[in-house]
Amino acid sequence: MTLRVLTVDDSRTILAMLHHTLSNAGFEVLQAEDGKQGLDMLKAQPVDVVITDINMPVMDGIEFIKNVRATGQHNSLPILILTTETSQDKRDQGKAAGGTGWIVKPFDPEKLISVIHRVVH
Amino acid sequence: MSDLDDFKATYFDECSELLTELEEQFAAIEAGERDSDRLNAVFRAIHSIKGGAGAFGFSALVGFAHAYETLLDYVRDGRVELTDEVVSLCIRANDIVADHVNAAQSGEALASDYGIEEKTRFDALARGEIEDELGGGIVEEFDIDFTPVMVDLDGAASGEALVDDVFEAAPMAPAEGQWEIRFTPHRALYARANDPLLLFRELAALGEMRVVPRLGQVPPLADFDPFAVYCSWEITLSAPELSEAAIREVFEFVDGDCDILIAQAGSTPLAAFDKPEMAAEADPPETDEPDLSSLLALTEDEMAETAGPLASVESFAPEPPAAPVGEQDSFEEPPGLSFAALAEEIRPSAPPPPAKPSVPPAARGLPAATEAEDGHRSVGVQSIRVDLDKVDRVVNMVGELVITQSMLTQQMDETLRARYTELVRGLEVLAQTTRGLQDSVMAIRAQPVKSVFSRMPRLVRELAAKTGKKIKLETIGENTEIDKTVIEQLSDPLTHMIRNSADHGIEGPQSRRGAGKPETGTIRLSAEQAGGNILIIVEDDGGGIDRERVLKLARDKGIVAPDITPTDEQIDQLIFAPGFSTADAVSDISGRGVGMDVVLSNIKKIGGSVHVRSWTGKGTRMTLRLPLTLAVLDVMLVKVGDSPYVVPLSSIVETMQCSRANFERVPSGGRVLQVRGEYVQVIDLGQRFEMAMANAPGDQFVVLCETEGSQKVALVVDDIIGQQQVVIKSLEENFERVEGIAGGTILGDGNVALIVDVQGLRTTHIHQNAA
Repeated sequence: MTLRVLTVDDSRTILAMLHHTLSNAGFEVLQAEDGKQGLDMLKAQPVDVVITDINMPVMDGIEFIKNVRATGQHNSLPILILTTETSQDKRDQGKAAGGTGWIVKPFDPEKLISVIHRVVH
Repeated sequence: MSDLDDFKATYFDECSELLTELEEQFAAIEAGERDSDRLNAVFRAIHSIKGGAGAFGFSALVGFAHAYETLLDYVRDGRVELTDEVVSLCIRANDIVADHVNAAQSGEALASDYGIEEKTRFDALARGEIEDELGGGIVEEFDIDFTPVMVDLDGAASGEALVDDVFEAAPMAPAEGQWEIRFTPHRALYARANDPLLLFRELAALGEMRVVPRLGQVPPLADFDPFAVYCSWEITLSAPELSEAAIREVFEFVDGDCDILIAQAGSTPLAAFDKPEMAAEADPPETDEPDLSSLLALTEDEMAETAGPLASVESFAPEPPAAPVGEQDSFEEPPGLSFAALAEEIRPSAPPPPAKPSVPPAARGLPAATEAEDGHRSVGVQSIRVDLDKVDRVVNMVGELVITQSMLTQQMDETLRARYTELVRGLEVLAQTTRGLQDSVMAIRAQPVKSVFSRMPRLVRELAAKTGKKIKLETIGENTEIDKTVIEQLSDPLTHMIRNSADHGIEGPQSRRGAGKPETGTIRLSAEQAGGNILIIVEDDGGGIDRERVLKLARDKGIVAPDITPTDEQIDQLIFAPGFSTADAVSDISGRGVGMDVVLSNIKKIGGSVHVRSWTGKGTRMTLRLPLTLAVLDVMLVKVGDSPYVVPLSSIVETMQCSRANFERVPSGGRVLQVRGEYVQVIDLGQRFEMAMANAPGDQFVVLCETEGSQKVALVVDDIIGQQQVVIKSLEENFERVEGIAGGTILGDGNVALIVDVQGLRTTHIHQNAA
C-alpha cells in the first residue's frame, strides 16, 4: 500500500525537495504551505504520516500539531517535525504539542526515508 | 544533476520573493510599525533563505543568515530591543543577504569577510543579551556554528546530521557482545503517536532480538486506560558490531517519554540500573523468554488477566500541559464500557502492545466518513506555478488566433455580410471571445511592479551613502500590474533613472538648505495605469536640468546645429540623445545624461517611451510610458505607397484628409501643418521610408499623432484602411533594429506590415533637421 505523506512547509524549495525525495521513494505526497492548509487537507483525506515545518505564516507548526491532536481522530498519526538543530526549544515545544519525531534540516534523503519508516506501521 | 538545478531555480525564485518581502516589512518597520506580525514575517523569510541555503551548501549565506536569524529571534522574543540602530543594522543585513544570494546564484564568491562587521554586531547584540541574562557571565552554550549538509539527491548516505547532532557525546560501545535494553515507556508515549512495536521492529533489524514483557503495572480492567502504556520490556539484542549510539538512535524520538537503560551484557548487571518503578514490579510472568511474535500474541490475555498494582503517579513523567490526548478525563463513559467498546474497535488492526488506539484513518468509523464528505473544501486561493515558456506558447497561439479572427472579419465583404447574417453573428461572437481570451492570457502574465520597485530602496540607500546626500524614496502604486517581460526589462532603466536623480538631481544637504528646501531630498517612484499604457514616473525635488550646459554640450558634440534654438522641452529631451552622454565629463557637471540613451533604447525595445520634464530649482520628472502587454496592439492600418503600415492607436489623436497645399514650409526646410491654430510638424512617411508614391500628389491623408510631452506630429500617408488589432513581432529578433519602426506584424491577408514608431520618427526628424 502506498503511504501517503502530508508535507507542510512555507518554503517552496523545501516542499519541492521533500516531494522529490518522497515520491522517488514511492510515497504519495500531499503539500500544504502552512498549518491551516495542512489541517484542511487532513480533514479532506486520510494521511499516513505528516512532516511539518515549525516557522510558518497563518498557523505555525506547533499550533498545527496541537490542532491535529486536539481533534482526537489523529492520535496515532505520526507527525515529524522538520527543524534546524538550533531550535532545540522549538523541538521540545513540538514534542509537547504531540509531535512524534523530528528531522534535522537540511535533511539527508536516505535518513528522511528511514525516519519515516521508524514511525509508520 | 538537473533535479538539483531545478531546486536551485526554485530556491532563487523564492529568495527573490523573500527579499522583496524583507524590503517591504522593513519599510513598514522603519515607519514605526514594529508589531510582532512583521517581525515574525522577517524571521520566517530569513529562516527560509537559510534553510534552502543549507540544503545547497551555500555556507557563507548560511553563516550570515544564521547570525541574523539568531538576533531576529531575540528581537522577536523581546529579549533584544528593536532600536533604530538595530533596524538600520537589519536593513543593511538584508542587503548583505541579497548579495550573498546573488553570489550564490552567479557562482561568484564574495570576499570571505563580506558582512563580517554586521555579523559580529549580531553576535555581540545576541551575546550581550545572554550575558545580561546570566549576570555578565561567560556564555559557553552559545554556539553560532551551523554546518550545512549537502543534500545528496542520488540518495547516497553522506549526512549524519540526525545521529551526530543528538548523540555526539554518546560513547561508543566495545565492538562485541550482546546488548541488554530495558525500555519503560511513560504514559505520554502514545500521545505523540510513538509505538513500541515500531521500535522493536527497528531493533530487530539491527540484530537477533529477544523481548521479555513486564506486565506488573497493568491495572484492573475497570481502571484500564487504553491510551496509557502499562508495559515495560527487557530486550536482548545480539549485535556485536552495534554501537550504543545506534541503539539510542532507535529510541531518539521517545527520548524523554520513557526510561531507557542500555548495557552491554556482562559489563554491568542490569539490576544496577533498576529504577524504583522496576523494583516495585512483580516477577516476570513468563520464565522463558518469548520472542516478539509470541509476546504480541500473548498481550491480550495478559491484559485481561493480570491485575497488578496500579503504578504510582509520580513514576510517570509529568504530562506536558499542552498534551491533547491520552488523559483519562477525556473519556466520559464509565471506564468499563469504554474499554469494551475500544477493544472492539482496536482488535482487527492493532496487534501491538496493550490497548494502543491505533486505527488507520481510513478504517475510522463515522466521524471520518462525514469528514470525507465535506472534505473537498477549497483551501484559500489556489494557485499553480507554470513555466513561463508554456504561457508564452499560449500567448503566441492566442496571437495567431487574433490574426485569424481579424482576417476572417476582413474577408467578409458586404455581399457576404448581407447574405449570411448568421455567419456574421458568429464572427462577432468569435471576435468577442477572442478578445476575452486574449485579455485573460495577458492577465496571467501580469505581475505587480513591486518586484522591481522593491529593489530601489536599497539602491537609494547606497547612492545616498556614496554621495553623502540625504535621500528618501517614496513608492506609489507598486501593485500596478504589467506584463512579466516588461517588468523584467524595467529594472535597468529604472536603476539608471534613479541613479540619475540621486546623482545629478538631488543636491547636497548644504545647497538644499541654501535653496530653502528640506535637507533630505525626495525621489518619488510611482506606477499607474493610463488606458492601454502604464506610466512609471521617477520624480525628484532636486535642482532640475541645467539647460544651458546641456545645450552647450549638445552643440559641442554636434547633436544640435548652431543655428537651431531648441525649446526648453527639446533641450530636456536631449539627455536621451545617443552620443550625448558617452563622455564621463557629463556627470561632473550638473547635467543629466549618464546612460540615459541606454534607458531610451531599453524602453523602446519594449515598446515604451520616455519623456523628461524639468523645473529649474524645483526638480525633474521622467515619465516612462509602457505598453500593458508586449504582444497585442490596437492599431490603425494605413497605406504608404503600396505597402501597409500600422500606427499604434494609442498615439493617434485624429485623422484628416488634406491637400499638400496645406503644408507650409519653415525656414529650416521642414514642413508644418496648421491644425486649428496650432502648427504641427509634418512627417511624410512616403518620403521618410523612400517609397514610390502610388497616388498623384493630390489629396492625402494625415494621421495626427501625439507624442510624449503633448507634442503633435502629422504623419502623411496615402490611404487609411481601418482599425484592428495586431500581434507584434520583433524586428530586432528577426532582422535588425530600424530607426522609426517599432516592430512588424502579420496582417490577416498574410502580408507583413511595419509598425510606425511615432516618437522615434519625431526624434530622428529633429536630429535630421538639426544636423
